[in-house]
Formats: sequence, structure tokens, C-alpha cells
Amino acid sequence: MQETLATSTLLAPSRSSISTQERFSTAGQTSSTGPQPSRLSIIPPPSKSKGWNSGTKVRRMRRIIAEDPEWSLAIVPLLTELCIQHIVKNFQNNPILKQLLPEHQQKVLSHLSPELPLAVTANLIDDESYWRRCCLQRWPVCHVARHGGSWKRLFFERHLENLIKHFIPGTTDPAVLLDLLPLCRSYVRRLCVHQLLPPVQPPAPPRSGELSDSGSEGETEEPATDHYQLRDLVAGLSHLEELDLVYGVKDCGMNFEGNLFLFTYRDCHSLAATIKACHTLKIFRLTRSKVDDDKARILIRSLLDHPALEELDLSHNLIADRGARAAAKLLSHSRLRVLNLANNQVRAPGAQSLAHALAHNTNLISLNLRLNCIEDEGGQALAHALQTNKCLTTLHLGGNELSEPTATLLSQVLSVNTTLTSINLSCNHIGLDGGKQLLEGMLDNKTLLEFDLRLSDVAQESEYLIGQALCANREAARQRTLNPGHFMSPIVAKGPENPAR
Amino acid sequence: MNPPGPLGVLEEKEEEHLSTPILGPSIHSDNPQERIQARRLRIAARLEARRREALGEYLDGKKESEEDQRKSYKQKEESRLKLAKLLLCGTELVTNIQVATDIREIHRRVEEEEIKRQRLEKLENEVKTSQDKFDEITAKWEVGKQKRIPQDLWDMLNTQQVHCAGLIEDKNKLISELQQELKIKDDQYVKDLKKQSDDICLLLERMEEQVKHVMKTFRQELNYIEKAFEIERQELLTSNKKKWERALQAHNAKELEYLMNRIKKAEDYEKQLNRQRMWDWEEYNMIKIKLEQDVQVLEQQLQQMKATYQLNQEKLEYNFQVLKKRDEESTVIKSQQKRKINRLHDTLNNLRSKYAKQIKQFQEENQSLTSDYKRLVMQFKELQKAMRHFALIDDKQFREIWLMNEEEAKDLISRAFDVDRIIHTHHLGLPWTAPDFWFLRNVGPISQQPQKSATQIVEEVLMQAEEEGTEEAASEAESYLDLPRQISPKTTRKILMLLCDESGFLVESKLLSLLLPLEKNECYLLRLDAIFSALGIESEDDLYKLVNFFLKYRVYHSPSSQEQTSLLSALEPGEQPDLEGQKEESLVEGEPEEKEAPPSPRLIHPNDVLKILEAFVMGLKKPRDSRAPVKLKYVRDNSKDSAYWEALTTVIPDTTQNLWDALYTALEKYHLILTQRAKLLIENNSLEQQNTELQMLLQKYLDSKKQGSVEM
Repeated sequence: MQETLATSTLLAPSRSSISTQERFSTAGQTSSTGPQPSRLSIIPPPSKSKGWNSGTKVRRMRRIIAEDPEWSLAIVPLLTELCIQHIVKNFQNNPILKQLLPEHQQKVLSHLSPELPLAVTANLIDDESYWRRCCLQRWPVCHVARHGGSWKRLFFERHLENLIKHFIPGTTDPAVLLDLLPLCRSYVRRLCVHQLLPPVQPPAPPRSGELSDSGSEGETEEPATDHYQLRDLVAGLSHLEELDLVYGVKDCGMNFEGNLFLFTYRDCHSLAATIKACHTLKIFRLTRSKVDDDKARILIRSLLDHPALEELDLSHNLIADRGARAAAKLLSHSRLRVLNLANNQVRAPGAQSLAHALAHNTNLISLNLRLNCIEDEGGQALAHALQTNKCLTTLHLGGNELSEPTATLLSQVLSVNTTLTSINLSCNHIGLDGGKQLLEGMLDNKTLLEFDLRLSDVAQESEYLIGQALCANREAARQRTLNPGHFMSPIVAKGPENPAR
Repeated sequence: MNPPGPLGVLEEKEEEHLSTPILGPSIHSDNPQERIQARRLRIAARLEARRREALGEYLDGKKESEEDQRKSYKQKEESRLKLAKLLLCGTELVTNIQVATDIREIHRRVEEEEIKRQRLEKLENEVKTSQDKFDEITAKWEVGKQKRIPQDLWDMLNTQQVHCAGLIEDKNKLISELQQELKIKDDQYVKDLKKQSDDICLLLERMEEQVKHVMKTFRQELNYIEKAFEIERQELLTSNKKKWERALQAHNAKELEYLMNRIKKAEDYEKQLNRQRMWDWEEYNMIKIKLEQDVQVLEQQLQQMKATYQLNQEKLEYNFQVLKKRDEESTVIKSQQKRKINRLHDTLNNLRSKYAKQIKQFQEENQSLTSDYKRLVMQFKELQKAMRHFALIDDKQFREIWLMNEEEAKDLISRAFDVDRIIHTHHLGLPWTAPDFWFLRNVGPISQQPQKSATQIVEEVLMQAEEEGTEEAASEAESYLDLPRQISPKTTRKILMLLCDESGFLVESKLLSLLLPLEKNECYLLRLDAIFSALGIESEDDLYKLVNFFLKYRVYHSPSSQEQTSLLSALEPGEQPDLEGQKEESLVEGEPEEKEAPPSPRLIHPNDVLKILEAFVMGLKKPRDSRAPVKLKYVRDNSKDSAYWEALTTVIPDTTQNLWDALYTALEKYHLILTQRAKLLIENNSLEQQNTELQMLLQKYLDSKKQGSVEM
């Protein structure tokens, strides 16, 4: 009966105002009681429409119709609707999506539940909105931009990370991970695992040192604390580009134990073999994992002549000069663009070897040696290398016990080098004179955009002046990037640089 | 310790995220077109501003117009700088924590290193001392083994125990120390953890604060920029509205004007239309009437035409009949004509054969006639020859007769003179002078003086020249040589010699070779002969003309030989009329000239000779051509004959006769008186009678002569 009423309103819109008004109000009520709640919000309340004449009402109705694509007078849903509902309901058993028309596909996808098993959805559904719903349901905070803007990729990567994070060797079934492999193989590009759990050690059985240990020095008791072997998993992920690992336990709090953070030699060898086999890998990070010289050398040896590797991050480890030398060798045997050795134990010899490699390198863009102890010898070597290097743009030498001699050399570098854009010399003992020299070098430089001299005993005046010069450089750089074509930089010295970019 | 790093990065990224929307669409309009437009305008303004900034030129004129654009641009620039500064400061504030922890870590490390070193030293010392002690103890064990006395051994063992206890105590002490340190470190760790959490809290706080602050300022700046754009837009809108209204007003005014114009035009056209319609109506009526009249006339004509047509038809039918009949007749006539033609053909054939026959006949006749004609020509030639012969003979006869008569007359005259003399001397007693008349000296027919050819003259001249030295006087006596006398023979000779020398080319080479052995004079003569024949000089006159020409040429042209043609033209008219009549005159003319300038042919340059000759030949040519036929038929001039003879008769003048008459009368009287003289008188009478007879005879002869000359 409601339906007929509604149709009659449509069919006879030019009746007397009162009757239509009544009918319309009833129709509005019926529709408001209908299953679609969205209609309710759009249709104006009947009280408001009172007193309007019929013409405006008709227009009003039409406007409603135009604005809501799903609005329909038919209360009995269409057959397609019913079918779609059925498909949604039985999607787990009988997934039908590709055969549908695009609009129907859209409808189905918008009604699918995010709890469907991955085996069904993984390779079938590409729709981002669905995966967005899945992600938002599982994790409150999602940075989709870090996953290439793809919600599906984000979902699989975080799902896999979660699984690996909570994988306990020996107790968890490896098939859990390997089963997922065919589903996520083509979506996962980045693996960011900040926790790898050691096997659960029952307190009762005695530790058998010879099982995993092959030649560790200090540790007399070497328990079988090997972590999950990533080899099979990584071999299965054909598009993996980034691997970020931390061999450690998160949130241990007061349950801290030394052996929770052990990166064993077997782990190391296995990881080395893994990354060597993964030819698509571009970024490799292994941080906070107690990687010492030997392990670093094992890893770096496997990375020599890697076809794709661009970034290597071994920060927050225990790498000393030998590891740094290995890294220097890697610089000349790969296309590494970013090298991060922050918070290690690199000293002057290691820095010198790095500088030697850097002098003729044409790939490295960024070098981070924060919180090492390269001292003036290493700093001078690096500065010498920078006089010939034409590629490096970012250099971080914060907290390296550097002092005036390095500053003197660096000021010379600043006036010569035209590629460096960022230098960090914070937490050093540059001193007042060093600051002045750096200021002098800075006045000749037109490319540097960042120069951090905080807490390095530099006079405030020179720091301020350096800041002014940086500001000017930044403005010039902005102008150049905004219109590189017809904008002639006012500084003639930069002329030759413009066409190069 | 580490978390600040990545968190800071995250923070920065977040900030970047926040900063991007500012660059996005800042004009919130419902119309996407408008937004696009606004964005384009903004981009253009930005580019413009940047370029101007770069070039450092601020054009005052443009500044005014672009003030609105600049306002928003300024606002944007300000906001950008402010925000950049804010971001930089905020980042620094946040990263300060990291830096602080870094430096703390460094300090800690330095301290740690120091402590570690000390601890190691201490441990090493400890190891050394304990080793010493241990060595001591072990040494004592050896000593103890040698002790046999249990007391000693016990003592020693006790001491050993004490030593060991001391060692262990030391060790324990060390261990406890280390454990103490460890505990302290544990506390430190806990503290560090707390500190870190505090740091992190601070970091988070700062980050949040920064985020808030930045968000706020960004919003604010966004608002400012929006406001600036809004104001700009409002201004633009109002100005555009104004413009639009103005345009609309103008448009309306124009529209009205057009409408008025249109109405006016429509009225005009309507009027014109009406007028046109009236006019057309009248015209239509007129034409209609005229056409109706025309129709009537044409109908009449049609009727007439029909009548004539019928008439014509009848006529034609009649004609047809007639023609038919005529045709029949003509067929008959044709057959007749054919027959006639046949006949005529026959006659034609006959006539042709006749004609051929006649041609043959006439050819024969013609041949016979031509042979006759040839014969007659021959006869005529013979006749001519005979005539010439007779003419010569006649001439000779005439001459003879003339001479005879003259002789007779002269005899008579001499007798008369004698008589007169006698009369005068004897009878009258007067002195008698013999009258000297020209005709008395004449011998032979008058004007039949032989025309000497040029060569003859030349010969004469040459001869004369030779004899010049001896017989100069003799030459002057000759009468016919009087003519060249005006030009001295010497001169003539020289001219001729010159001519001979210069114009040797006119002489044939064969002749020259023949002339070589001859005498000089003869040689000259022959040469001149040849030259004259070449030049066409035949008569004496020509020769003299030539000589004269030379002289005149010299006179006129000695200063300049260029006036040769003018001389020629001057010469021609003088020479051209009757040559024979003019002869005397020209000669007379030449006389004074010669006197004035004695001829010195030396003055004639040999080179001029040819020119003179050329001019002469040119001048001579014409008159000669016209004169040539006259010369052939030389008719003797007998005009002077009668005068001559008359003169002869009147040799004795009337006065004398009168005298004689008077004398006669007197003598008669005297006769009468003197009868003696009667006989003489009779004689005289007879003589007179004889004379008359002779006169008669002469008359007769002359008549016959005339007839002869007419015949010629």
C-alpha cells in the first residue's frame, strides 16, 4: 500500500497542494522507515516542506532523486540487488566477482566483510577500498604512503610482519608463514620486522653450546638462540625490495636478558645467503642487532656486486674499523647510494678507508657516521675525499669527536664542492676558530642547504651567519626547482649547474 | 636512546604532509572552471613576479596595474617564509633532544671508557697481585712438602690457609665491588630508561606541540592567503561587474539606436513600396491597354496574312502548274540542246583542225617575212652607207662649189675693190684704203672649221712646245690656235705632262711595254691618247675644259682642296647649257684669270691630280651623255651663209654705191661727155648682169642644197 501511495505521488504531481502534501509526507515516512538509512538524511523532514506549493515540492523531490543514486521508489529490491546480496553472503564458498559488471562489482566489494579468509580474497580482490577497510579494521594507524599508496600492499606487508614478529622458532609452525607465501608473494615489497623472537628456552634442559656456535669469542655458553630463518620466505617473495630487520625483542621491559638480543653466526650466515639470493633487494637495514666486525664482514661479503642494492643501513651495531673497511670495499663494488653506519664503533682507520673509497665513488649520495669516533684523522681524510667527490649530497658526522683541523679542511671543501646539500657536525668540538673558518667556507658556497652545528662550541654569531647563508641558498634552490627553465639565477657561479639537472 | 631519530623523521614527514595542502587549491569556489582560472592566474602572477624579481626591474607603470596580484603574492611569500622559519625552528627544537642525547651519550661513552680503563687496570693489578700471591702460595706448597715436622706443616698450612683466605677475600672483595658496580649500573640503566622515557615524553610533547602550532599557523596563514585572494577576487569582481555594466549599457544604447534606425528604415521602405506599387499599377494598366490594342492590330494583321496566304497559295499552285509545264518544255529544250551540243562539238573539232593548219601556215609566213625583214635591214644599211658616202661627196662638192663661188666672188670683190680703188684714186683722187672684212679672209664654207680631235691638239701642243724656243711668234699667228692661247701652251703642256705621269694607271700595261722603245714625245702622245680615251675626252673642247678645270681647281683649291665639290657644283651650271654657245664666253672669262695668276702648274700637287680628275669626270659625264647623239648627226649650220653671201654682196657700202651712183651719174654725164667711156660702161653692165646671174645660180644651188640636207 505504501508503494502505491508513493507511485501515485509521482504520477500525479499536480494535484491540490494539500493532498499531495499529505501523500508526500506519508511517502517520506515510508521511505524513512525503509532499509536505506541514507535516504532519510537526504529527504527533508515533512515539517519543513509544509506550506510550499506543489511546484516546489516536485522540484524538491526531483532534486532528491538526482542526488542519491541509490534512491529508488521500488521498495522491493531489484533482482540484481538480491543476487549481489547473495553473492556477498556466499562469497567465502563461491567467490564471484570478475564475471560481474563493474558497477555490480563495486557493490559487492562495498559489502564484503573484511574478515573473509585471505585465501579467498588475496588474489581475487584488487579493490583498494576493500583492503582499506581490512587495514583500518585491524590497525588503528596506517601509513599507506609508506607502502607505495597501496592498501592491499600495506595489508599484506603488515600482516606478514606481524606473523614474523610473533614467530617463535621451534614452537610456531613454519607452515603458517609458508602458506601465506603464495597469497602475498606479488604484493609484498617491503619487509620491516623490528622484532625477531628467540626460541623459547625451557629452563630445565641444559644449554648445548656446540649446536649453533661455530666460533664465537666471548660467549662461553652459546645457546641455540637462532632466530627464524628468513631464507625460504624471502626466496618466495619475488618483489621484495626492502628488508628491515632487528634481531631483538621489543617491550621486554624488566624481563631483559642478554641472550634475548643475540645475533648468532648461524643467523648471520643464513641472512647473508638470503640477501645474496634476493636479487630484487634495494634497501637492506639491519639495526640494533649487535652486529660486530666479523658478522658485518660476512654480510657485506655477500652483498658485494649485488645487482640492485642501493641502501645499506647497519646503524646501532658494534661495527668497528674492520667492518668499516669492508663497507668501504662494498662502496667500490656496488651501486650503493645510501650508507648508514650511525652509532657504531668506527674509529679513524675505518673512516680513512671509507674516505679512500669515497674519493672516487660516483654512486653514494648519503653517508651517515653519527655517533662514531672517527676523530680528526678520520674527519680530515673524509674532507680530503670530498674535495674530489662529485656525488655525495648528505654527510652526517655528528658526535665524532671532531675539532678544528677537520673544520679547517671542511671549510675548504665547502668553497669547492657544489654537490653537498646537507652536513651535520653537531656534538663535536669544533671550537670558535673552527666555526669562523666554517663560516668563511660557507660564504663561498651556494649549494649547501643544511648545516647542523648545534652543541659544537661554535660562536653564536658565526652560527647565525651560517644560518643566514643557508637561508639564501635555500631560497635560490627553491627558485631553481620552481622554474629551472627561464629563471636565470642571479648568481653566475651557479650557471653551469643549471643545465646539469 | 635511539627512538628520537626515526620519530624525528616521522615528525618531519608529517610536517611536510601538512605543508603540501597549502600549495593546493587555495581558492574555494563552486565552479571548477573558476578555480582553474584562479590557479592559472596565480601561476602566471607567480612566474611574472619571479621573473621581475630575478631581473630586478620594477616597472612603475606595471606596478599599479598588478597591485592586486602582488598583494596576494606578497601575502603568500610572507606566509611561506614565516612557515619555513617555523618549521625550521620546530624541527630544530625537536631534534635538539636527539642532539642532547647524543652528546650525553658521548660524554657517557668517554666516562665509560675511562672507567673501563680504570677497571681493567685495577683488574690487571689485581690479577698480578693475586697471581703473585698465588705463586707465593704454590711456592710455599713446595716448601711445605719438604717440611717433615707436623707442627711446622700445620703452621705452614695455617699460614697457607690464611693466605688463601686472603686471596679469596681479595677476590671476593673485587667481586663484590664489581657487583656493586653492576648494581649501580643496573640502577643507572633503570635511570637511563626512565630518562629515556622522559626524553621520549618530552619529544612527543614537543612534537605534538609543534604539530599543533604548525597546524595553527598553517591554518592562519591559509586564512590570510585566502582573505587576500578573496579581497583580490572581490576587487576583480567589482571591476569586472562595472566593466560589464558599462558594456551592457553601451550595448543597450546601441541596440536602441539600431532599433530606431530599423523602424525608420522600415517606414521608408513601406512608403517606397506603396509608391512603387502605385506606379507599377499604373504602368500595368497602360501596358495592358497597349497590349490589347496590339492584340487587335495583330489579329487584323493575322486576318490579312491569312488572306494573303490563301492568295499566295493559289498563286503558288498556279505557278506550280506553270512550272510543271515549263519543266516539260525544258526537257524538250534540253534534248534539243544536247543535240545542238553534239553538233557544235563536231564543228569545234573541225575548227580545231583548221586552226592547227592555219598555225602551220602562219609560221611559214612568219619565217618568210623575217627573212624579208633581214634582207631589208641589210638593204637599209647599205643604203645608209651609200647615203653617208653621198653626204661626204656632197660635202666635198659643196665645199668645192663654195670655194669656187667664193673665189669668183672674191675675184669680183677684188675687182670691185680695184674699181673702187681706181675710182677713188683715179677718179676722185682720194686715198683709198682697202676695207678689211672678216668674210674677206674666209675660205670655204662658214663654220666648217675642222673639229680637231684632242689628240691632234695635244700633238700640236707638244710639237709647239718643242719648237717653242725657235718659233714662238709663228705659233701665235695661227688662228685656230687662238683658243688655247688664253691658257699658254706651256701651261697646257705641263698640265698634260702631269696628267700623263700621274694617271698612268689608266693606260694599259701592254701599251706601256710597247711604248718603252719610243721617243719621249711620241710616248707621251700615246699615253695621253690612252688616258683621254679612258676619261672620255674626245674633242678639243673637252681638252681645254680639262685644262681649265685644272687651273680653276688650283685657283680655288690651292688654299684648301676640300672645296672640290663646291667647285664642281659651281662649274656644272656654267658648263651645262649650250657648250658651243658658251665656249667663247668661258674662254673670255678664263682670260683675265690667267692674267691675274700666271699659271704655275708646279703649284698643283701631284696628289691632287686624281681628285681633280675624279671631279672632272663626274662633271663631264652628264653633258656628254646628252650631247653624244647630237654629235653623230652633225648638221651643217647654214644660217650664216646668206649673211655671208649678203655681206659679200654688200662689200661695197651704200655710201660708196651712192658715191658710185653719183659718180656714175657724173660719169654718165661724163660719158655723155666722154663717149670714150661708153665701152667701159657696157662692160660694167655686162659684169653686173653676170653677177646677177651668178646670184641666181647660187640661189638655185642653195635651194637644191637645202633639199639635200632635208633628205638627210
